[in-house]
Amino acid sequence: MKRRTFVKNGAWFSSAFILAPLVRAQGKSGFANPARPASTGPSRPALTGPSRPAVTGQVVQVKGESPYEITRRALAELGGMEKVISRGDTVVVKPNIGWNRTVEQAACTNPEVLRAVIELIFAAGAKKVVVMDNSCHKAEDCYQRSGIAEAARKAGAEVRYCDENRLVVHDFKGEYLGKWPVFRDFLEADKFINVPILKHHGSSGLTIAMKNLYGILGGNRGKLHRDMGENIADLASGFRSHLVLVDAFRVLVRNGPVGGRLSDVELRQTVIASTSVMHADVAAAALFGRDAREVEFLQAAFARKMGEIDIAKVPLRAVTV
Amino acid sequence: MDAKEGRRLQRLRIGSQLLFTALFFFLLLKSAGAAVEHLPHTGFFFYIDPLFLWVNALAGPFVRAFLLALIPLLLTLVLGRFFCGWVCPLGALHQFFTWLGSRRKQRKAAVDHNSLRLKYLLLIVLLVASLFATQLLGWLDPFALLTRSASTVVLPGANFLVQHALQAGAQNQGWAGKAVKPLYDLSRRFLLTVGQRAFLQAEVLGLIFFGLLLLNLKRRRFFCNSLCPLGALYGLLAKYSLLRLPLNEKCKKCNACANHCTYYGSPYQDYLKSECVLCFNCLVDCPAAAIDVRFQLPGPGRRPALDLGRRRLLAAAGFGLVAASLPQIAVARKAKAHPFIRPPGALAEKKFLKTCVRCGACMQSCPTNVIQPAVFQAGLEGLWTPVLVPAGGYCEYECNRCTQVCPTHALAALPLEEKKQFKIGTAVVDRSACYTYADGYNCAVCEEHCPVPEKAIRFREVEVNNFRGKLKKVKQIYVVPDLCIGCGICENVCPRTDQAAIRVGAEEEQRENPF
Repeated sequence: MKRRTFVKNGAWFSSAFILAPLVRAQGKSGFANPARPASTGPSRPALTGPSRPAVTGQVVQVKGESPYEITRRALAELGGMEKVISRGDTVVVKPNIGWNRTVEQAACTNPEVLRAVIELIFAAGAKKVVVMDNSCHKAEDCYQRSGIAEAARKAGAEVRYCDENRLVVHDFKGEYLGKWPVFRDFLEADKFINVPILKHHGSSGLTIAMKNLYGILGGNRGKLHRDMGENIADLASGFRSHLVLVDAFRVLVRNGPVGGRLSDVELRQTVIASTSVMHADVAAAALFGRDAREVEFLQAAFARKMGEIDIAKVPLRAVTV
Repeated sequence: MDAKEGRRLQRLRIGSQLLFTALFFFLLLKSAGAAVEHLPHTGFFFYIDPLFLWVNALAGPFVRAFLLALIPLLLTLVLGRFFCGWVCPLGALHQFFTWLGSRRKQRKAAVDHNSLRLKYLLLIVLLVASLFATQLLGWLDPFALLTRSASTVVLPGANFLVQHALQAGAQNQGWAGKAVKPLYDLSRRFLLTVGQRAFLQAEVLGLIFFGLLLLNLKRRRFFCNSLCPLGALYGLLAKYSLLRLPLNEKCKKCNACANHCTYYGSPYQDYLKSECVLCFNCLVDCPAAAIDVRFQLPGPGRRPALDLGRRRLLAAAGFGLVAASLPQIAVARKAKAHPFIRPPGALAEKKFLKTCVRCGACMQSCPTNVIQPAVFQAGLEGLWTPVLVPAGGYCEYECNRCTQVCPTHALAALPLEEKKQFKIGTAVVDRSACYTYADGYNCAVCEEHCPVPEKAIRFREVEVNNFRGKLKKVKQIYVVPDLCIGCGICENVCPRTDQAAIRVGAEEEQRENPF
């Protein structure tokens, strides 16, 4: 081959590679301004409808010594992972990997809880499990120090970082939260499993499953701290969690959501499972010692008829191992 | 020595250059990435640099590892400038570009004493200036130059190119995706950073670096022959070295040995031991096997050497004095306020500027990309010294990597628990911009991110008339200055898109007597 033809062919080939994403990414601008109309990315109606009616939202709360065992027990009590996962599903599991903190500091989901969830998903016949979160601290740090990357990889899941080139604008169709960029990995999955950690949060009071959904978003998320309760409720009603598993093994009770001081962490040794994101949060709030009716985002969720806000009306079963 | 043996020596030299260059980049990549408690030892190339030893000896605190730099100094007395030809990774890059240039037809140029002399004069200027208060050796020192350029330009640039070349292919669902995906995953794992790193004036640093490399196409090893102060230092010693390239009786006086000589001399004509980097190209070029490689005690008589000239040396020393004094009379020297934050562990400013060699190792090691090369924030003297720019990142609470990698301890080594307490500055809320004051609605993103366990950023709930004129309860942000360590994550995450409404400055920084 002549050098000239080699260079020419090379230039054609590489320019095709470079230009391909530009063609695909038409209309990707306008992330920072959710009000500006932009084309919506691939969306799956099954995923994005409102959560199922609340009455079916059975909640199971299991207490015990081992985070791994109580997670397995909670799912068994709920009727098994098979109820949620179909054979061949691609599943995205979204723990809280927000911060560069250790397990003991209780700012990120317990890796043992996560390991149990991933194993059960595979056992139910899923084809692929992806673990990811849009961290607040630098992602590599958070994934590593939290112990989540290692645990997830060991359990056979793919550990993925959020890639800004994979953002698409999604319409949450909420009163407060409309169009906003979301990582397409979350939209393209067959099932979405929400595995938050229960902890104190300065501005929203608590962070549980609904607030955990901030991690699917890109863009300038800080802007969503205005009218935070309303935004959280719109987010949770506009994006379905097929299963919620709240890690309340260690609970950061003060100075959340980052924490850092071990004296702010209390051992509660509990996990809460439900298919209703609202009921899981109401139960977790009660465990934390808060009346859900005083929590802003749960009031907003209640106004959107996402479920019961009175803990007495939530179908809750508590088990101690 | 015949051409065959010569080629063997030449290959050995290239192998050694490849090895040390690979080692350099391996250590550099090793010193970046996720925050971990203990870095593998990455300072090797700094510690064998006698100029860094000089800086350290002048400004202290003494770092024992710099005694390693005596080894190449002593070896140079025996071998000559082997370091430049066989070890130095920047020299290897220049050699590579010289080789690229030599593939084109080149006119034979004569040895240019003026251009060779320049580096000695530069060395004198820099050494004299460093004796008198202004230390700028890092601007030209090859390890500072290479580390700085590689950290801020070469690696981030390579990251960008690889990412963009492979990503689209890896997302393809067809055969192309299948082919590219493994390659992408592999580079993702070992090379690419999750977020693209970016640096202040990366364009300028890049132009300088690639400009120097491209100059090799015009003049062989231009930087090494004309600019490198370390090369000059080795040259001064190499003059007395024992290894020589004497000619034997087979010499046909054809001067073919000059064809690829790195300094445009040759063993036949203009043999300058101070300039010979033992590349051994001449052995390969010689058609008659007329050049020997031999240890020889210096014989009687004058050695042919580069004449530096007494007047030039005096002029260079004088210029060094001027260079030393100018930055010291800048008005910024009198101001008690200064518009930059130094990384944790930084010495008092005056001492810091004397100790820091502008190598950028801290910038490479910083996991969040907050450490940036200063443009003129710290004066001309502070060009390329490390400053914290919260737009780029934040000082990670659980990290002390920059203090681990700093070769001269301009950033004093701080154990992690000490670093967490080390106050580099203080945040201030700009009440005319903060949403919780100016617009009267809740935000608290900064409070949420504040890493101090007791929270240096807090809010108090007050009733205010918001921008719609309605009475509302708002959580208004305030800073507890005594707790704030100045990490800058608040400024980094503030959601305002014009300028952050909470900003960090050097107020109350912990290092003593800043100026």
